[in-house]
Amino acid sequence: MDNRLLGLFLVFAPLSLLSFGGGQAIVADIQYQTVELRGYLTNQEFSDMFAISRAAPGPSTLIAALIGYHVAGLVGALVACFAIYVPSSLLVYGVSNWWQRNKVSPLKTAIERGLAPVAVGLIFAGALAVIRAAKVGPLEIGTILLCCALFYFTKVSPYLVVLSAAAAFAAAYFIA
Amino acid sequence: MSDVESAHQQTGTAPLAEVFWSFLKIGGSAFGGSTQAMMHREVVERRKWVDDEAFLAGFAISQVLPGANPVNLALYMGMKARGGLGAVVAVTAMIIPAFCIIMLMGYAYRQFSGLPITHFILGGVAAVGIGATLAVGAKVSSKLPRDVLTFLIGLAVFLAVGVFRWSMLPVVAIAVPLSIGLAWLHVRGAK
Repeated sequence: MDNRLLGLFLVFAPLSLLSFGGGQAIVADIQYQTVELRGYLTNQEFSDMFAISRAAPGPSTLIAALIGYHVAGLVGALVACFAIYVPSSLLVYGVSNWWQRNKVSPLKTAIERGLAPVAVGLIFAGALAVIRAAKVGPLEIGTILLCCALFYFTKVSPYLVVLSAAAAFAAAYFIA
Repeated sequence: MSDVESAHQQTGTAPLAEVFWSFLKIGGSAFGGSTQAMMHREVVERRKWVDDEAFLAGFAISQVLPGANPVNLALYMGMKARGGLGAVVAVTAMIIPAFCIIMLMGYAYRQFSGLPITHFILGGVAAVGIGATLAVGAKVSSKLPRDVLTFLIGLAVFLAVGVFRWSMLPVVAIAVPLSIGLAWLHVRGAK
């Protein structure tokens, strides 16, 4: 039990500092570490947790709390939550003062420009990791493409889409 | 302006109970991604803890640095309202509602994970999540500068972490300084 709590901390604390743009950037490494490296979850469970974290309100980084709960109960959830938020928060706290003192500096522009392509690469890697972990058939591929277009071109509420998809899949389950 | 006044401007003296309550409300209304709008209404217009300029600065920091944007934003605003303690209280209050809901969902998952339909429906929801992730990636990509190096860095990170499954820490530790360095040369060169 204690080893698992330590393990959760060791998985999420470093990832906290890599979560550029939030939880989507670290999804690939969460899958790799919790499923393949440490065997805390099966691919099925990981894919389910990803789905739940997307359906829930609040930041997608809360997938850490969900995995923590699954691995070691409520204490596990709290440890994972602590690990995913404290390191990045300390960094934000430290940088905030410097940032305000230097209103327009070329270094700030360079940091913003430099981080963007790395974040993009990580986001696509995260999508690929979940596609690998989930059982993706024609129905799922259709849903992925449809939702990608919906979210890219419209401002539709994500919760409405999640509810519709859940209802559609429930219906499909009983028909098929 | 006296030292005391300028110190107040940096950290603020808002009562912690007010900070807690405000961010609990913002956290509780986090459905639908309107967090920034809610936050602005509460901390700028209603409580007047920060002005518009400081709000925008906090917004930029929250997006650039690692961490969930709404959580980083809460930390920054809490800090402006009541210093380090305000930051801790704001972040905690902000996370509590979403944490409670996701724990309930995790509990429900445990109860129903034996049923095949659970995994089938969640597979559909995961597909929505993958679609949303791809859309975010496409949106951010479309705002990137159109040059070969930027494209190559994004592609290299995707291949390393996504396709070759290399550990993220060393990949990011190399890619971030490299990418910022190149952007720095570009920014200096453009002057």
